[in-house]
Amino acid sequence: MNELIPLMVIIPIACGLLLNLLHKKDRSIRILAIFVAIVLPIIPLLSNFGLHYFGGHAPLIDNSTLLGTLPSFISNSALAIFHPAITYSYQSLQKLFIFILGIVAFFAIFTSFNETKKVSGPYMFLMFMGTAAVTALLLSDDIFHMYIFFEIAALCQVGIILVSSTKGNYETALKYMILGSIGGPLLLLGIGFLLGAVGSVNITDIVYAIKHNLVNPFSQTFLIGFGLIFFGWLYASGLPPFHTIKSSIYSKALPHSAALLQSFTVITFIALGIVIFRIFSYLPFMKMVILIFSLITMILGVTMAIIQTDFRRIIGFLAVGELGYIGIGIGIGTTLSLTAGIFQAVNEILTTALLFIGFGTVFYLTKTSDMKKLGGLIAQNPKVAIMVLLGGFAMAGVPPFNGFQSKLMIVQSSLNAGFPEIAIIAVLISIITFMTFMKVFHSVYLKPKPQDLQVVNESIPTSTIFSIVILLIICLIIGLFPQLVTDNIYPFVARLI
Amino acid sequence: MIEYVLMIIAILGCILALMQRDLLKAAILTGINGVCVAFLFQFLLAPDVALTQAIVGSAIVPVFLALAAYKTQRTDDK
Amino acid sequence: MMDILFDTQLASFFTSAAFIIIGLFAAIFLDNIIKKIIGIAFIEEGANLFLVTLGYKPGGIVPIFLPGMNSEWFAANSAYALPHALVLTSVVIGASTLAVMLAIAMVLYKKHGTLSTSKILGDEK
Repeated sequence: MNELIPLMVIIPIACGLLLNLLHKKDRSIRILAIFVAIVLPIIPLLSNFGLHYFGGHAPLIDNSTLLGTLPSFISNSALAIFHPAITYSYQSLQKLFIFILGIVAFFAIFTSFNETKKVSGPYMFLMFMGTAAVTALLLSDDIFHMYIFFEIAALCQVGIILVSSTKGNYETALKYMILGSIGGPLLLLGIGFLLGAVGSVNITDIVYAIKHNLVNPFSQTFLIGFGLIFFGWLYASGLPPFHTIKSSIYSKALPHSAALLQSFTVITFIALGIVIFRIFSYLPFMKMVILIFSLITMILGVTMAIIQTDFRRIIGFLAVGELGYIGIGIGIGTTLSLTAGIFQAVNEILTTALLFIGFGTVFYLTKTSDMKKLGGLIAQNPKVAIMVLLGGFAMAGVPPFNGFQSKLMIVQSSLNAGFPEIAIIAVLISIITFMTFMKVFHSVYLKPKPQDLQVVNESIPTSTIFSIVILLIICLIIGLFPQLVTDNIYPFVARLI
Repeated sequence: MIEYVLMIIAILGCILALMQRDLLKAAILTGINGVCVAFLFQFLLAPDVALTQAIVGSAIVPVFLALAAYKTQRTDDK
Repeated sequence: MMDILFDTQLASFFTSAAFIIIGLFAAIFLDNIIKKIIGIAFIEEGANLFLVTLGYKPGGIVPIFLPGMNSEWFAANSAYALPHALVLTSVVIGASTLAVMLAIAMVLYKKHGTLSTSKILGDEK
């Protein structure tokens, strides 16, 4: 059923607009939001793989009646192969990520109902709109279409922070928007350079033009385009120099929306990263640049995490640092490493969502996230504490969880590709991540309870515990049966190279 | 010939808008810049874009900026 | 020499480059939030102008197919219309981002009583 492909984007957008209209009708908002959130992960499972042409404008070569009427200088040229309309390409990778995104979005929305007293229509609107935007980023085969949804996703992230009403959220939002308004137009400019060189914004067409020497791929136009698109990618995914602002965004949002925000970031990272890999992989220095930036991300993310005192900030920096592993997978550029990198992206979405929701319970109970004021919360709810600990194991790469499998694959692939240094750094960073996590865990749960710590809410809502349990079970299943995920990634990657 | 004049006015409009201390004047100069770019689009054979840019660049953006300046403070004091 | 000086497309590229450089300067170095936002509007305008200039064809016609035109002659002489379609979207995106930023600036002014970025972001600690 190829008709379902555009519905993956249309349903959340329509639902978001409807929820915004239903403002202050709490009950109907709840029912509709939960219903759509359940539908979201189901659609990708039902849909068939394939291409969807908007407006039905297939390439000329597929439309033989029209092709026959055209003069031969058009029908024999590359124009007959080029895509005239926006194209959505739905394959195994998209299926996997849209499914995972649907699950995370469901848990974010589900927990938000019980943790916030009042259901807010605009908040739900922003969450659904962001989900739709990131889904479109994954599906789209058209680089300008990606730019539009990239901007929508950025606006939604800002909106989610603004609605969160935490301390200092407006300042962070303004900083993010100013940086974003510099990064966005520069990305558009890079797209403009590619458009000027090739004459099409469809990625398949650009790759075709480069492969068949229709354009000179080493011309300055392409190099400038690469630089500008790469800068946009750095901004979108929070690689340095944007790692500070990205992690402060996570810490200013409410915990469950931070879980959703980090999944937006990871998916944008993967979507744009694959585009950059597809178009520019002929450049000899492309992989080196990605590797260097990924290593810097890992090192900066972890070192900045050590010196923080706010646990949400620490998780934010660790989440940014984990992006470096995905970048290494893309940067090494072999089939195994790309599979490993994308597998790591799936794991990161799940484990970081688990950690944000899990530590969110601490924020929910005490309304503070300063580690100096916290302590002894293991007595409050030992089950949640142990599940959060297991989530930390999953993030740091302890067997039998999913993080172990993907990090092992990354280390293996870097050894196979002849980069033993990277393997060593990856293992070291993983150990430091674990140490940092244990420090947070100790000072939040294990150390003696300070006298002045007040517990505002007595018990954790059941829905939050339910979300944590399910996410943990998914992590465990992927850790025990990694081929469930890698079988979906491998065919996509094999066609990519 | 007129397109070169428009380009120079547009760039001058940019620089002057950023040099103003009065934010209301800066907003109006942004509008002049927007109009020049709209005319430039017309000369670059894009009349549809020129129409949109004429509305957005010469009316909506300056009005937004002027409203923001009116609601906050008019001068850019250090 | 005169040819280069009076090439509309090249001059237009330089104009868009000037917009982007002035805008980047304003967005990075100026302290007032509204000035920063004006600079960002200039960056967006520069990117739009760049895209439209890509589609320009010297001595060409507007890409509107009128009845009675020879389609081969039209294809050879009209400007390239794809960038125009892209710019229409990007103009609207630019205006909406600007509106959101101005709204945030107004809220921050109410909170801090100043428009200076260094003061607002310095208070955060």
